[in-house]
Amino acid sequence: MAFVKLNDLEIEVEDGTNVVEAARQHGIEVPHYCYHQGLSRPANCRMCLVEPHVFFPPAGAIVPDRQLATGCTTVLRTAPPDRKLDGKYDFIVRTDSERVKKARADILEFLLVHHPLDCPVCDQAGECDLQDYSHRHGHDKSRYLEVKNVPPKKDLGPDVLLYATRCVVCTRCIRFADEVSGTGELGLVHRGSHDEIDIPRSHEGVPLQVLDNKLAGNVVDICPVGALISKDFLFKSRPWFLEKANSVCSGCSVGCNITVEYKADGVYRLKPRFHEDINQHWMCDDGRLGYHYVNSDDRLQLPLKRVDDALTPTHWADALATITEKLSEIETEDIVVIGSAQGTNEDNYVLQQFAHDVLKTTQLGLFGHLPGEAHKFPQFTIEADKNPNTAGARTILGSTNGNTVLEGDALWEKVSSAKVVYLVSGAPERPLEDAEKAALESVDFLIVQDVLPSEVTQFADVVLPGTTFAEKDGTFTNSTGWVQRIRKTIDPPGEARVDWEITQQLAKQLGGEMNYHFAGEIALEIAENVPGYADATHQKIGDAGIKLADSTQ
Amino acid sequence: MSDELIQIETPFAFNEENQREFDALIGRYPVKEAAMLPTLHLAQRQAGYITPAVMKYVAEQLEVSVMKVKDVVTFYPMFFEEPVGEYVIRVCHTLPCALRDCKGVLDHLKTKLDTDVAAETNLAKGTTPDGKFTLMKVECLASCDVAPVIMVNDDLHKNLTPEKIDEIIDNL
Amino acid sequence: MVEERRILYEHLDVPDINTFDVFRQYDGYTRFEKAITEYQPDDIAKMVMDSGLKGRGGAGFSTGLKWSFVPRDIKPCYLCCNADESEPGTFSNRYVLEKNPHLLIEGILICCYAMGIETTYVYIRGEFTLGKKMLDAAIKEAYEKGYLGKDIRGTGLNIDIYTHPGAGAYICGEETGLIESLEGKRGQPRNKPPFPAVEGVFGKPTVVQNVETLCNLPFIVGNGVEWYTQMGPTYADTRANPPTPDPNTGTKLYCISGDVNEPGVYELDLGLTCSELIEVAGGLRGEEVKAVIPGGSSAPILTHYELDTRLDFTSLTLAKSMLGSGGIIVMNETRNIVDCLLNIMKFYAHESCGQCTPCRWGTPWVRDIVQRIADGDGRKSTMTRPKFGVAENGRWGDTGETEEIYEDLDLLESVANNIANVDTMTWNTICVFGIAVSWPAVSYLRKFRPEFEAAIREGKLVTLPVAEATVPPEENYAYQQRFIPKEFADL
Repeated sequence: MAFVKLNDLEIEVEDGTNVVEAARQHGIEVPHYCYHQGLSRPANCRMCLVEPHVFFPPAGAIVPDRQLATGCTTVLRTAPPDRKLDGKYDFIVRTDSERVKKARADILEFLLVHHPLDCPVCDQAGECDLQDYSHRHGHDKSRYLEVKNVPPKKDLGPDVLLYATRCVVCTRCIRFADEVSGTGELGLVHRGSHDEIDIPRSHEGVPLQVLDNKLAGNVVDICPVGALISKDFLFKSRPWFLEKANSVCSGCSVGCNITVEYKADGVYRLKPRFHEDINQHWMCDDGRLGYHYVNSDDRLQLPLKRVDDALTPTHWADALATITEKLSEIETEDIVVIGSAQGTNEDNYVLQQFAHDVLKTTQLGLFGHLPGEAHKFPQFTIEADKNPNTAGARTILGSTNGNTVLEGDALWEKVSSAKVVYLVSGAPERPLEDAEKAALESVDFLIVQDVLPSEVTQFADVVLPGTTFAEKDGTFTNSTGWVQRIRKTIDPPGEARVDWEITQQLAKQLGGEMNYHFAGEIALEIAENVPGYADATHQKIGDAGIKLADSTQ
Repeated sequence: MSDELIQIETPFAFNEENQREFDALIGRYPVKEAAMLPTLHLAQRQAGYITPAVMKYVAEQLEVSVMKVKDVVTFYPMFFEEPVGEYVIRVCHTLPCALRDCKGVLDHLKTKLDTDVAAETNLAKGTTPDGKFTLMKVECLASCDVAPVIMVNDDLHKNLTPEKIDEIIDNL
Repeated sequence: MVEERRILYEHLDVPDINTFDVFRQYDGYTRFEKAITEYQPDDIAKMVMDSGLKGRGGAGFSTGLKWSFVPRDIKPCYLCCNADESEPGTFSNRYVLEKNPHLLIEGILICCYAMGIETTYVYIRGEFTLGKKMLDAAIKEAYEKGYLGKDIRGTGLNIDIYTHPGAGAYICGEETGLIESLEGKRGQPRNKPPFPAVEGVFGKPTVVQNVETLCNLPFIVGNGVEWYTQMGPTYADTRANPPTPDPNTGTKLYCISGDVNEPGVYELDLGLTCSELIEVAGGLRGEEVKAVIPGGSSAPILTHYELDTRLDFTSLTLAKSMLGSGGIIVMNETRNIVDCLLNIMKFYAHESCGQCTPCRWGTPWVRDIVQRIADGDGRKSTMTRPKFGVAENGRWGDTGETEEIYEDLDLLESVANNIANVDTMTWNTICVFGIAVSWPAVSYLRKFRPEFEAAIREGKLVTLPVAEATVPPEENYAYQQRFIPKEFADL
């Protein structure tokens, strides 16, 4: 640990911490644009200038150093005993001296000379470092009278637009493409004040390569100003009208920590949230843009029941009654219950309990997306398993079942011989393979709980409208054994209900004794009953998640 | 994306002689990327200017992304992304030459060649219609003692007067 | 009359000195042979340290000291020879490369021997096609004669030299910009520390030396430290207690251009005055000296009052200017200082690498303000304010008079100082390019303010007579000292 005098504070920081981070840990802002925790540090924006103090022998005193230093590259380390300042400090630095304040204001003035000041139409307004730092550290007027550079707006890739006029050339995006995605599509063109971020193009402007790697969307997040803009979010909402909830991406089994940004009428965007061991600062575009099905107009809003070969909307009481009637007259061995790798641990726990306690069946299966493609980047991985909770669902469904959960061919074999199947899906746009279709078609009575009409629902006799990750509370367990929380943001559409509530209702109607009121209550019971999950209560998981002591195998 | 990716119809490749030179170059550095500038000089000498095909080829040879090549090409003014004349005339216009009337030299060349001065991203502006000359202004050529100077391709011409310029141009 | 003392340039004009055989006739490579037979590598490094040789590239940093920072246990270590001569007003390296390339090779060999270096890259600016051709030919010859390559002269030394062409970017003359460019990237300077001596090209310790610096090495080794230190003055650095010697030893290749009768490269002992140099260069072309740029275009300008300033590293630093690369540009009474500044600012705006904020957007801004003033569109307020100048006590203060406010001149000075502050010698930029921009801008303005005021007042460029155009030195001195209490002002 280094003992540092930061302004008037005496602080201890880990060796190797830079001044920006040390200050942040103690609630002091050192403004910066080019510096980003997850990227290399070129120190080109010059915004984080701080004032180190050094011992000046002729004066026999500790004085401010002649040059200001960039906080991002000034690393704090324990000094050897004979190099301590004032006999005890490893480093003395001020972030609030007049010289520092003037330097910040001057740099901001330079940053704004060519900026169009088009905040009223800028998507970044409200979450823009130029605005925020100008407000806190800048001058109140511009002295720039000359002609502003007006570089053209550019299309960089499927989801990314560059408003070059707003760019402060911090090169975060370039470093991201070089270091994290390793795809190197971005760079600077021209020189000096004409520097522009761009993809490689011919002299006439036709691209040779576009920014279409699966991590491209992150450059929009890390852009400190409104230069890189997501086409998906363009002009959709002012950011300050969005509410935010910490959640987990449901796009694959990595379990990237995200913030769901939403309004009452739907989800507007997903942004990655830092988690040191899982996703760092990043998420992939499949996950980022994969939320649209939540807002879809096609979402199942009412239960459906097969009447004369056609699925017809009905009300909950009727749908549940139909199911209860069927289930009560069937033999246990003819029932297969299938949980979902898209569902939460809580959904699956209730389903497992329903099967075990009420239906008394041991024939439990697991359904989810088919494996997709895995992608490896220098600092990021996208998993082939496109379900967020395969590990959790598997453990929990198997917890009272001798850990046998039917999957793949074994499952479909069992399904084809079953009379009643209760299948919880929740996997949007899940294509069925021929064997799967055949198996489902052969089922006498198929109950499907899903969020959208799909190939699965077309075989159903009753369809129950369930919910997506954005509409419920619960936990997911990722492929590396992290249990993490998702949170309810918007209300489910129409009369759709949270999945475990539907299962519980069915259980009740069949004489079960379940009576959960909220997901956290189920998690407490999981903690008690499922091996490895002892600490996985919602309270303990918090925003950081917990890692299972011994991962699920 | 509204833009289509560019289709490279005739790929670029070094001719035999340049390939030999490139092979020698690449051995000089512990990382291939370091050979960027000499490789681009070589490629420009062969292709006349840095076309998308050249960028792609150089990127493949040096095992870097195309953008890294584009990045470098746009930074250094000696690399051209547009066709230039057979003779590229660089007129120094920095202070020591300015004190020796480089403006007169430039004006004389403009009249003589009947062309404007090229802009950095618009070389066509300074290229004669017959494609023989490209006239451009450059910063200090480090020959201030013999100012004003111009470079015609690789050759430096010193202590210029209108007569000398006429002689140089007429002999090309 | 000061005499030239030709050492580096002694045999420059010998016919065919660029060939090995002729170079050999004039003691070529004997200094290197002496080095490897008579001295250990550390002896050479000590000789260089003792010689007081200061880097000739611009910063004037002690070469011996620079070498001492290089960790000896990390290999490979590289030598980068900086032949990217691009500072306006500087052209001495070109002649070495074009006419006497073997001298440079010998200097490189001595440096490599002293530092245990096996690979040298000579970064030659792209426009030096002839220089590169000559050096390449000389290198080829040196390989053939066994002075380069494996096991040189049977000593077990392996030394390779490669030339690396630049492509027209001034900033690649900055040592870390050069390293980036050598690595095949944009020539954007790096943050320091780490310094190249510790972590340079390809992440390895790197010695970066100018052509002229390396060319001094054969003579230091050949003739000895004592001989070398007799040339040029050695001052005492009184900031240390007791004062330490501050050597300005050796000769300098002064490049003189502009309004003199015989512009060219003159090799003279360090420490001669500005007027002496003008005399050596055939005298002034014109009636009167208006201004002299002493060290390439980035150096603060000297007025006709300052012609007695000695042109060495220390004296020019004390005169708030610098020797830089030794490119001296003389301007006579017909020159307009605003116009000259505009030319220089256009140069810097064009050459800014654009990496860091203050330089990327400050430099063109300064250029635009000067352009506006030169176009006659400079702004002047209708209000007046108390005039500050040399007050009764001889210090900077209120003179009791009033003056008109030239807004654009205040703005020019402020913007330039925000890139790099010339009073405190601090810069907010990554590299010293920042100060290379604000130094001329602020010094031209302060020393020739009447001409700037005239341009704004008259709405066009007005060239004033020298006496009228120049701010008296007392006023400048008082202004520079304005923040410093009088009792310390003369220290």
